[in-house]
Amino acid sequence: MELIQKTAAQLHRLLRDREITAAEITDAVFAQIAACEPQVQSYLALTEASARKTAALVDQKLAGGEDLPPLAGIPIAVKDNLCTEGVTTTCASKMLYNFVPPYSATVVKKVEENLLPITGKVNLDEFAMGSSCENSHFQKTRNPHDLSRVPGGSSGGSAASVAAGEAVLALGSDTGGSIRQPASFCGIVGLKPTYGAVSRYGLVAFASSLDQVGPMARSCEDAAMLFSAITGADEMDATSCDRGHRADYRDYLARDVKGMTVGIPKEYFGEGIDEEVSSAVMQAAQVFRSLGAQVKEVSLPSSPHALSAYYIISSAEASSNLARFDGVKYGYRSEHYQNLQEMYVNTRTEGFGAEVKRRIMLGTYVLSSGYFDAYYKKGKAFQSALCAEFDACFAGCDFLLTPTVPQTAFKLGENIDDPVKMYKSDICTVPVNIAGLPALAMPCGRDKQGLPIGMQLIGPHFGEDVLLSAGHHYEQATGYQFTVPAIASK
Amino acid sequence: MEIDVRHIAKLSYLKIEDDEIETYQKQMSDIIQMVEALPDQADFDAKPRVEDAMQLREDEIRPSTPRDKLLQNAPQVEAGCVIVPKTLE
Amino acid sequence: MEYEVVIGLEIHAELSTKTKIYCGCKNSFGSEVNSQCCPICLGMPGTLPTLNKQVVEYAIRMGHATHCTINNVTKQDRKNYIYPDLPKAYQISQYDIPLCENGYLEFMVDGEKKRVGITRIHIEEDAGKLIHADSFDGSLVDFNRCGVPLIEIVSEPDIRSPEEAHAYLETIRSILLYLDISDCKMQEGSLRCDVNVSLMPKGSNTFGTRCEMKNVNTFSGAVRAIEYEMARQKEILDAGGVIEQETRRWNDAKGVTELLRSKEDAQDYRYFPEPDLRTIYIPEVHVEELKATIPELPNQKIERYMIAYGLPQKEATLIAEDVSRSHFFERCLEGGKVAPKSVCNWLLGDIAKVLNERGCELGDLALTPERLVELISLIDQKTISTTSAKTVLECILDDGEIAIDQIVKEKGLAQVSDTAVLEAIVAEVLAENAKAVEDYHNGKTNVLGFLVGQCMKRSKGQGNPGLMRQLLEEKI
Repeated sequence: MELIQKTAAQLHRLLRDREITAAEITDAVFAQIAACEPQVQSYLALTEASARKTAALVDQKLAGGEDLPPLAGIPIAVKDNLCTEGVTTTCASKMLYNFVPPYSATVVKKVEENLLPITGKVNLDEFAMGSSCENSHFQKTRNPHDLSRVPGGSSGGSAASVAAGEAVLALGSDTGGSIRQPASFCGIVGLKPTYGAVSRYGLVAFASSLDQVGPMARSCEDAAMLFSAITGADEMDATSCDRGHRADYRDYLARDVKGMTVGIPKEYFGEGIDEEVSSAVMQAAQVFRSLGAQVKEVSLPSSPHALSAYYIISSAEASSNLARFDGVKYGYRSEHYQNLQEMYVNTRTEGFGAEVKRRIMLGTYVLSSGYFDAYYKKGKAFQSALCAEFDACFAGCDFLLTPTVPQTAFKLGENIDDPVKMYKSDICTVPVNIAGLPALAMPCGRDKQGLPIGMQLIGPHFGEDVLLSAGHHYEQATGYQFTVPAIASK
Repeated sequence: MEIDVRHIAKLSYLKIEDDEIETYQKQMSDIIQMVEALPDQADFDAKPRVEDAMQLREDEIRPSTPRDKLLQNAPQVEAGCVIVPKTLE
Repeated sequence: MEYEVVIGLEIHAELSTKTKIYCGCKNSFGSEVNSQCCPICLGMPGTLPTLNKQVVEYAIRMGHATHCTINNVTKQDRKNYIYPDLPKAYQISQYDIPLCENGYLEFMVDGEKKRVGITRIHIEEDAGKLIHADSFDGSLVDFNRCGVPLIEIVSEPDIRSPEEAHAYLETIRSILLYLDISDCKMQEGSLRCDVNVSLMPKGSNTFGTRCEMKNVNTFSGAVRAIEYEMARQKEILDAGGVIEQETRRWNDAKGVTELLRSKEDAQDYRYFPEPDLRTIYIPEVHVEELKATIPELPNQKIERYMIAYGLPQKEATLIAEDVSRSHFFERCLEGGKVAPKSVCNWLLGDIAKVLNERGCELGDLALTPERLVELISLIDQKTISTTSAKTVLECILDDGEIAIDQIVKEKGLAQVSDTAVLEAIVAEVLAENAKAVEDYHNGKTNVLGFLVGQCMKRSKGQGNPGLMRQLLEEKI
């Protein structure tokens, strides 16, 4: 079996047993990048030299008999909205086309401390706003399962690189579904952690109260390993916190699903959800039942409104977070101006893409004088009501099971002119961010065209252990095996 | 509902061309309409909650960043300062 | 028409914490440009604020000192506006739940007690500085001041004259200094204020339209700005005009206020809760502990000085409102060796004169309370005269090492009470001033003072003046 088909956990065991070297893994991944990148276009920047240096260090330490972190030597791609000291961090925006941060994100530092070779920076929708990766200023990443389709977004480059074998793991970020939706479209595993479980320091903010960094991987075990490496309170992020979990989430994977209760929120299976998607998720429910779990229908009546609340809160915060891009301290500055006001306006007008401008405008509007109570406050009120509904569900369930996305990957250009239609691909994922909960997206079958279908397991606050163990048992029960799709492995 | 796109663009420091106004108007209105369907939560209390309390930072000095490194991304630098078009004083 | 002025003040005080409000960079003034900064100060993408505990505690102490209610469960909010000195394009401040609110302040104006309500005190960050050089086509931005912690103290519109405004400002300043939470150096911009002024017809209860004046950086500037604005508004009203609500800027050099923006141009700050920070929560117990750290404040001191030490109100006030002077004063009294009035006279007399001349503060002198007590004791014991003491003071102001008795000895300042020596001087003076002696015998007894002076002169100031007078009366 080729190295690029293996999971991080498998590669770790091979490394530990000295059957392969980290250099060989890195070689294989960069060879795959060379082969696929012209079609897939996941990467905005490659950091091959430093990746090889890390791999060599791992081999040297292994040869010296040192005990290394489990992910040492496993190549990882980093979404280009995570700051990397000395390496451009563009957010796929013209606005930051030349931005080289003088600091690294806390998650990036943790990845480096765990000795994962970083392969490069991967594509996204500009400033993580979008569901298709088509909003990147630089390139349109393709879905490795069908190059005419989108990989999803905003972490489309992360998902596509892992699916195509161009990286074994990836870091993504999720504000309304940006890890889970592309994971679903590309047939991989993505974990959106509980708000606060992973430091946001160095993640270029889109919507601060909703953003979370999380792992994208080939199996639940891989996701557990990467999550273990990046979770924990960070003194640089006042919104991060610890909940006293084990350092290694693999310890939880063996925990039995038997006796668990799986809630099926009926609102996530109705109108707007493709028949094939609903039935695949219902079949997964049967798998959990066969594993000894109890499956019951529950209700989250407010869910259909979550998208509205999401657009208010996320746009409001984005309008403020993105006001700092003004051509003064870093990034793009317009060449056309006579005075300060013109410099601001022209820099921002030329530097931001259409979707980003739309969200800034919307956010400015909902916060503007006279509208705050009608919109922002109403959105926050809704948020607390939705949290209460989730809490009520978790009083009687261990986790909830829903589709990740209402449909499978769509074609490039299909939704680009209709923002509302595009936004609707987030209806199953957005409530999770609004409530600050953890959710695991993972493959649960294919549609008639052979495109991956994803399911979403939603847990209570800091219930990542439950989600990862349930997902792991599902993989075991169904004999799931990650494979790089043929189109990309040529 | 009519949104004053020009006013919002001004507040956002963005220039919206005349032929784009209508598109923005429509797209923003669509979203706002969706938002207006949100149920009212009359009993909502927006006050901060003790359960959400954060840890405060101790008042201990940490090294600052060398100036060259800090300003390496700035479009225009002179005399150790970032330069902007003259502000009105 | 006669008008009454209604004034409200918003004071921004920089807090003297070690680090900035949202990062660990040093909070210092006068450093090389952009040398006290980090990516957080510059609002670089992905950076996050972490709130300095000391800032919250300092603000709560100011709240206690001004009798405020402390909101110990609160939050911060973003105030959005774009300007080159504000790197994030928003200022982290507080909007609807200030840390402290509903307090008051009392102080004396023209011998009467005045009370001014404190609407709120909140915490926020300072902005950077723009440097304008004529030689250069552009403005330079120095971010060092970004993130320096500020408290904004907002008063109720309870102030009714420029004098009251001045006294209010002085009181706030002295409290900040007593609490040791701000250095209040106005020349460094650590204390700045915005002034709201409106006029209403005398006897009316309805406030007129107010104008806000920004950029007032000195107390005297505040007084002049208020006086200017009163005159400007009166002129408009007397001419039958109406006052427009507007923001004006005090131009200290020209002594005028200038229009900055009218109400129509009022900025829309789009406040909303800061999502990068969670709830600020200070347990009630800790809020009370902070209350216990509030020292005796100027008002209480004035009363105590008057009652316990018998100082007149004017002197008591002059000592109490200056924190270093009152500390010096109280330390002098610690051993109970000297009379409070003597210490007061020295502090407000010769010592104040020197400080005034030099434009420096008590702390800049080598003189210690112990040495001043030693000096006063020498006078009390009649070892030296008051005149000699002034000579000694000059020597010990800047020299903390030299022994006082050594100065007395070396300069021959010891007071002479040896009757034989003094009798000789008296005899000489009487012999040389026959005219004065004659006048005395003709009833002009006040020439005695002149003769005492002559004797003192001849003794080089060392003769005991009381003894000298006694001898003169005997011999004349």
